[in-house]
Formats: sequence, C-alpha cells, structure tokens
Amino acid sequence: MINTVFRFGLIFILLVLLQVLLFNNIQFSGYINPYVYIMFILLLPIEIPSWLLLILSFTIGMIIDFFSGSPGVHTFATVLSGFVRPYVIRVVSPKDGYESGSEPSMSNYGFRWFLSYTLLIVLIHHTSLFYLEVFRFTDFFRTLFRVILSTIFSVTFILLIEYYRRGKN
Amino acid sequence: MRNLLNFLTRYNNLIVFLVLEGIALYIISTGNSYQNSRLLNAVKGVTRGIEQKIYNTSSYLSLREINERLAMQNVALKNRMEQMVRKENPVFFSVQDSVYKQEYQHTSGEVIDNSINRQKNFFTINKGELQGIKVDMAVISPDGVAGKIVGCSKDYSVAMSLLNIDFKLSARIKSNGYYGSLGWDGRDYRYAILSEIPQHVNVSIGDTIEATGFSAIFPEGILVGTVSDYVKVGGDFYKIRVSITTDFKKLHFVDVIGNMKKKEQLDLEKLFK
Repeated sequence: MINTVFRFGLIFILLVLLQVLLFNNIQFSGYINPYVYIMFILLLPIEIPSWLLLILSFTIGMIIDFFSGSPGVHTFATVLSGFVRPYVIRVVSPKDGYESGSEPSMSNYGFRWFLSYTLLIVLIHHTSLFYLEVFRFTDFFRTLFRVILSTIFSVTFILLIEYYRRGKN
Repeated sequence: MRNLLNFLTRYNNLIVFLVLEGIALYIISTGNSYQNSRLLNAVKGVTRGIEQKIYNTSSYLSLREINERLAMQNVALKNRMEQMVRKENPVFFSVQDSVYKQEYQHTSGEVIDNSINRQKNFFTINKGELQGIKVDMAVISPDGVAGKIVGCSKDYSVAMSLLNIDFKLSARIKSNGYYGSLGWDGRDYRYAILSEIPQHVNVSIGDTIEATGFSAIFPEGILVGTVSDYVKVGGDFYKIRVSITTDFKKLHFVDVIGNMKKKEQLDLEKLFK
C-alpha cells in the first residue's frame, strides 16, 4: 500500500516535470500541444475509489494550471477525465473482465485495449480543454482540428512512454 | 433522513465531481479576465433588455431636469471660453511616438530673437515656465533639430542653437545606424560636423543623419541633415560635413519637446556610472 502510494507519487512528479519542462514548450505551428500528464489519471489502479480519483485529478490539473498560467482550464478538463474514467473502463472492458487489484497498463491488458482506453480519455480531456481555452464556438472547426491533432500526438507520446515502461517491468 | 443518506452515498461521486468542477469554473471565471468578461456578458445578456427599458422610461421622465443641467453647463463653458480667448493660449499636445515607443510632450512656440553669426548662438522663444517649458528640453523646427533650452523665465526661454560650438548632439547615419558626435565648427551656418564615425563604415553623400535619443533630450529619429562631403582624419575616423536641414536664417515656428520619461532614464543610468 505504502509502496503503491510512493510509486504513484513518483509518477505524478515525473509526469508534471515532463509536461512543464518539455511538452509545454512544444507547439508545432500553433496547432499541436501534446498533454502527456493526463497519463497519471490513466495509470491509477482500476479499483481506486472514485472520490480519490476525482481529487487526484483535481490536484494534477491545478498544478499544471499553475505552471501553464491558465487558471482553472486544465483543472476542469482533468476532473472531467477523472469522472468519466470508470465509465470508459467499463465500456472498453476486455472479454474476460478485469483482474482484481490490477492496474490499467499495456502489459496487463494488451496494446489494443490500452490504445482505445487512452484514446477515449485523451479525446475527452482535449476536447474540454481546447474548447474551454478558446471559450467560444466561432472557430469551431479550427479548434476541432487542434483537438484531433493534439490528441494524436498525446496518445502517441503516452503509448511510447507506456511501451518503454513495459520494457522496464 | 435515511433516504437522504442513501441518496448521498449513492451519488457521492457525482457530488464530488460537481463540486470540483464548480471550483474549476469559479477559478476560470475569476482568474482569467477574458473568460471572466465572456461569462459576465452571457449572464448580463439576460437582464440587459429589461434594464434598458427601465432606463429609457426614467430618462424620458427626467428630461426637464436634464435640460436644465445642460443649459447650466453650457453657460459655464461659455464663460470659460470668454476667459480663455483673452489669454494667449499655448498649444499642448502629447504624441505617442509609435515607432520608438517614447512619449514626448510638445509645446509650440515662436522664435522672437535669433542670431547665426557668432560662435555661440542662442535664440529666444516666446514660451516659458508657465507653459511648461523646462531647461534641457529639445527644440526642433519643422525641418529638424534646432537647439535645446538652456534657460527659462516665466514667459520666455532661451535656447542654445545648434549653431553653437558648445552644442553637442549624439547623431547617427540613418541607413546603417553608426552613431557619432555632432557639433558645429563655427564656420558656416549651413553645415555641422559629424565625427567619430569609423572608417570601415560605408558613408555616401546624401545619407540622412538623425538624432539617436541617447541623451534623453532629443527624440530618437529627429532629422538633423544630410551628408555633404567627408574626409579621413587622423587614424581611423571620418570627419563628415553635414548639411543642416533646418534653415536658421528663417527660423520662426518651433516645437519644444519634453521627454516625460527622461528622469526615469537618467536615474537608472546614474546607478551604473
């Protein structure tokens, strides 16, 4: 238990640093901003209590907001992601269900499962984030384009990190 | 009570979710002025129609009072005007110099005394301290640099002319930005000398010479003159003869320019000298 808390604390710090120091500085032609820190919400144990998941989502969103100078925007998106995560997990559940006490990782449930799981949550996160950021629907399709492109990039980076993590384990 | 507890335990996720999202939205609406104003506008949009109607009605009812107030204001303004036209009115205006982001205050004035035939020439302007003129303000003619204020009385001020062997100005070649010191050699009222330009710099006849703004007196980019001819002197420098664009023989209307940020600049520079 203590071990798990410590491990996720480390993941939390690493992802925030990665996001703030590296990915926040990546902006290809104003369209693509990969947000990789959302991976923290993805990796939390499947049986985590919902309220804890929500509070952790809130915390990481606040911290990213603090570093990005965008008050509340990330917080809203992460809390939403944390809220829909249990439903997404139910929707994409593999044929023989989940093992109790397991973590949603690529090594446990395979590449295809992890891809669809990641894609759904990142898409929800990015959609709420980008539309909240521009706060209007006038450039609807431009924002949609940004959402899709950024989602592709974020998912790619998350898969790369997850792949690397699996190699480690 | 039991039902309520059941409800709470059943929907506790939703409640936590809504509370947290509420906090996020609150932060968005207070922390970011752009989002803030959009939200306010959306809320106000509902009530604005009603407010407008109420305002229209009440303003119609109070038209008589408004008329009276306007008439009184009119009388007061007319009286002010009568007082002002009797005075000599200085024209003040401030210019936001968007090219170089400096703010200067201009005051127009007329030259009432001038000389060009001495080594140390001065001219007198019909504006003084009462019109906001201070020592070390720049004086320019419509054609370029004219001098700088060296003394003020209540209604007059004296400016050191560019045609004064003590007058020094930091000037540069407009095309390439090399700057040097510009002064008058006391010979011809149509020419000044720009020195300290190194010899590797390309100079050609007809190049524009302008003020640099280093001294915090003259605004950056004020015209001084054009290159008339140049010779190599000593080891490394050119001596450039500059044809002055201002015609001091018919200097009449001038602008006095006060640098509103001069004190700031000098105070800062003092720390490092």
